[in-house]
Amino acid sequence: MKMIVSYILFFLIGASSIAQTVVTGKVAGEKGEPLPGVNVFLKGTYDGISSNSKGEFRFKTNKTGELVLLVNLLGYEPFSKPVELKGDTIRLNIQLKEKFNQLNAVTINVGTFEASDKKQAVTITPLDMMTTAGAAGDVYGALQSLPGTTINGESGRLFVKGGDSEESQTYIDGSLVATPYNSSAPNLATRGRFNPFMFKGTVFSTGGYSAEYGQALSSVLLLSTNDIPAEDQLDFSIMSIGLDASGTKKWSNGAVTGTVTYNNLAPYMSLAKQNYDWQKAPESLSGEISVRQKTGKSGMLKLYSKIDNSNFTLGQYPLALESKPADFQLLNQNQFVNTSWNGQLSEKWGTNAAFSYTNNLDDIHFDPTKVNKYLEAFYLKNNWSVQLTEKFALKFGAEFVSKSFDQHAEIADGKHDNRFTNHNYSGFTEAQIYASSRFVARIGGRVEYSDYLNSFRAMPRFSAAYKISGKSQFSAAYGWFYQNPIDDYLLYTSHLSPERADHYTFSFQSSANSRTIRAELYYKDYKSLVKLNGPEFYLPSSYDNSGSGYASGLDFFWRDKKTIKNGDYWISYSYLDTRRDYRNFPEKAVPTFASKHNFSMVYKHWFGGLRSLASVNFRYSSPRVYNNPNSTVFNGEKMPPYRSLDLSWSFLYRTNVIMYAAVTNLTGFKNEFGRSYATVPDASGVYQSAAILPGSDRFFVFGCFITLTRKGSANQLDKIE
Amino acid sequence: MKKIILLLAVVLVSLVSKAQNPEYVQKMGQTLGEFANCKTVDDFQSLGNKFEMIANAEKGEWLPLYYQADCYILMSFVEQGDGAKKDSYLDVAEKAISKMTEMAPGEAEVYVLQAFYLTGRLVVNPMERGQQYSGLSQQANSKALGIDPANPRAKLMKIQMDMGSAPYMGLDPKSFCPDAKELLAKWDEFKPKSPIHPNWGKDQVEGIVKGCQ
Repeated sequence: MKMIVSYILFFLIGASSIAQTVVTGKVAGEKGEPLPGVNVFLKGTYDGISSNSKGEFRFKTNKTGELVLLVNLLGYEPFSKPVELKGDTIRLNIQLKEKFNQLNAVTINVGTFEASDKKQAVTITPLDMMTTAGAAGDVYGALQSLPGTTINGESGRLFVKGGDSEESQTYIDGSLVATPYNSSAPNLATRGRFNPFMFKGTVFSTGGYSAEYGQALSSVLLLSTNDIPAEDQLDFSIMSIGLDASGTKKWSNGAVTGTVTYNNLAPYMSLAKQNYDWQKAPESLSGEISVRQKTGKSGMLKLYSKIDNSNFTLGQYPLALESKPADFQLLNQNQFVNTSWNGQLSEKWGTNAAFSYTNNLDDIHFDPTKVNKYLEAFYLKNNWSVQLTEKFALKFGAEFVSKSFDQHAEIADGKHDNRFTNHNYSGFTEAQIYASSRFVARIGGRVEYSDYLNSFRAMPRFSAAYKISGKSQFSAAYGWFYQNPIDDYLLYTSHLSPERADHYTFSFQSSANSRTIRAELYYKDYKSLVKLNGPEFYLPSSYDNSGSGYASGLDFFWRDKKTIKNGDYWISYSYLDTRRDYRNFPEKAVPTFASKHNFSMVYKHWFGGLRSLASVNFRYSSPRVYNNPNSTVFNGEKMPPYRSLDLSWSFLYRTNVIMYAAVTNLTGFKNEFGRSYATVPDASGVYQSAAILPGSDRFFVFGCFITLTRKGSANQLDKIE
Repeated sequence: MKKIILLLAVVLVSLVSKAQNPEYVQKMGQTLGEFANCKTVDDFQSLGNKFEMIANAEKGEWLPLYYQADCYILMSFVEQGDGAKKDSYLDVAEKAISKMTEMAPGEAEVYVLQAFYLTGRLVVNPMERGQQYSGLSQQANSKALGIDPANPRAKLMKIQMDMGSAPYMGLDPKSFCPDAKELLAKWDEFKPKSPIHPNWGKDQVEGIVKGCQ
């Protein structure tokens, strides 16, 4: 019996030792570096092991026959190999290829400030727009603390890298926004029409952008709206300048939000000293509705619509100094509808479609002048993208823009009606090619046809980026950019060509550990700019495309969220050298909107104990020029530099209540934006003038934001932290 | 009678073995035991590797995926390096979790882990991701509580979330101490479905309760 047992035991052990196969070897990367932690196992079995610190592995298996050995490591291409298990030792030297991952690979960021929750190298977010002092809750106000922009206090619009404000375009969810700013009086700052809380991500490109975007000589701002919120909620805000209420109803795959906003600056203006005499303070009423619906597995349909009515009357506004001072009255009605759909058709194919419609009426009374401006715009776009291989992607699309502009003017000498309608047809294609995870190039082209101008233009766009280390990279971009002349000129003539700017941009960026540094050198060559020769602006023969110019400069940006605990600061500096001959310029000159040095420093601090986020912003813009018709030098006068020290404080009073206070230009720097002159000289031959001042030296905002949800526990913290 | 019992036994055994073959249960138990020794990213990775191997051998089981994802989430917490690395670990966890939610959409534990994973994403960059991921994480955990209101890990997760956000809300984190004490007192009443089902969290509640005193 014993013998039998031991025999059986011997047999069993012997048998198993005969069948046992040893799998051993080493795993290394492409350069021969040992890879530890690699999962090496036989497919469908429990036999396997992780490689050790030298990349070595060794395990035994009782399985026999042919099985597949799987070798896996995060960040590497999986490797598999059939092995014949027959009781001996299998030795393998395995080399793993690094997986190409676009997320970790170099990306082209020349000229671009991108922010979204997915990106590590976030530079500015919609949240920053709300909480950055000086931005005062305005999308465009916040962007003016970024390099490449020049603050024009009498405009409030974006002026990018020596470009005029009309040279920048705004897109929401892929659709062009025809009227991104509120209507305003000449020389009075305006704000963006849209609430920054609407957006989850921004891309601000200050040059060299993709062939997808046309009709912008200087910059594009791409805003994407929020997705489906987490739950039903009601939001109320009470501010020193107005009220708004908003409600969101959610269902499983979608949500609808309705918002009503009423703003009236009268109470505020009666308390704070104003530089202008307002007969009727700015007042506006707007309604918004937004629907978001998931379609299929990955599709998202978004619909947004806003109706906006506003008006104001500025008393004794010194616009035309030769005539008696008169009230300037403006009534504005604006409707905007925006629809977009995004979908992934297959693993490789994606498409998005966007549509927008705008109509805008500006009714201006400026005794004895009456001007009625009506703008109607349609925008339609369809883009396709295909990932042909993991390193090669192609994008193409078509775009249609229709714009008609009507102007009815009643002036002393009679009535004038002018109008134009233009249809722009465009197509683009662009290839993105990765040579490795370190080098990427984007090559594209765009064609545009305008029926009103009867012009056809083709424009190449190139950009590339090279990663020198995990954290640092160089990027470069070159391209031609065309844009139709401004609406005010197209009213009088169609015998013009699109204006052109060629961009040359070179940038360096390095970011690590929540610190980002970037420097960018650029040169812009402006061609075929429209010139208005002589005072007869209503004659088509007064216009031609003989203007030209250049802008060059250096932009510098540093953001550090790490060094100071609970603190975050950024410093922007831009140097700009530009001259151009355009519009009514008699010769090449520095334009009024350009300032040589622009500096901004923002600091934000989270005070946990006080549940508060404080922000301070100091901005400086070197003196800009303006023209004095009494002088023989064109644009020869200089205004004082622009300086402003801004503060903002957000305090979380309750879980669902935020109090907010902000002041712009706390110390009351005397800012002045040049002078406006009479169009004709007085009896002694002198053109009379008046200073162009900001609406007020300081601007205060107080507010309280309340969020209510069914659970009652939703919080505003997310918004300020 | 004997025959019937025998037949039943055979059927039962075959059923059990079909549901969970003994090698699987044994291997899982053995591998789960190694959790206690894991401290570094490398430790968790090689443990995660083992669960990956088991998941590969047992295509119908969600538990190996659960623990594989758990290992990679823990790696993201242990990792001292940059956010991109943490995100790459969480990418692995995300894949495993999405497979799991398809295989076992009715399991509360799956959503507790999903909430944990989303917290991991948030922790990579709280400033930028706070808004989105705190909401998503709460949603996932609510789903778990909806399926199984008694699940102690879902309750633990909720207490942790509440306590974590309390200082920002002007609340005292200790106001959630009674919840933690109650959870600890009733912890053992919850019986996992099997020895290899998730059973972690008691020491975490103990830690919270200790901190309350």
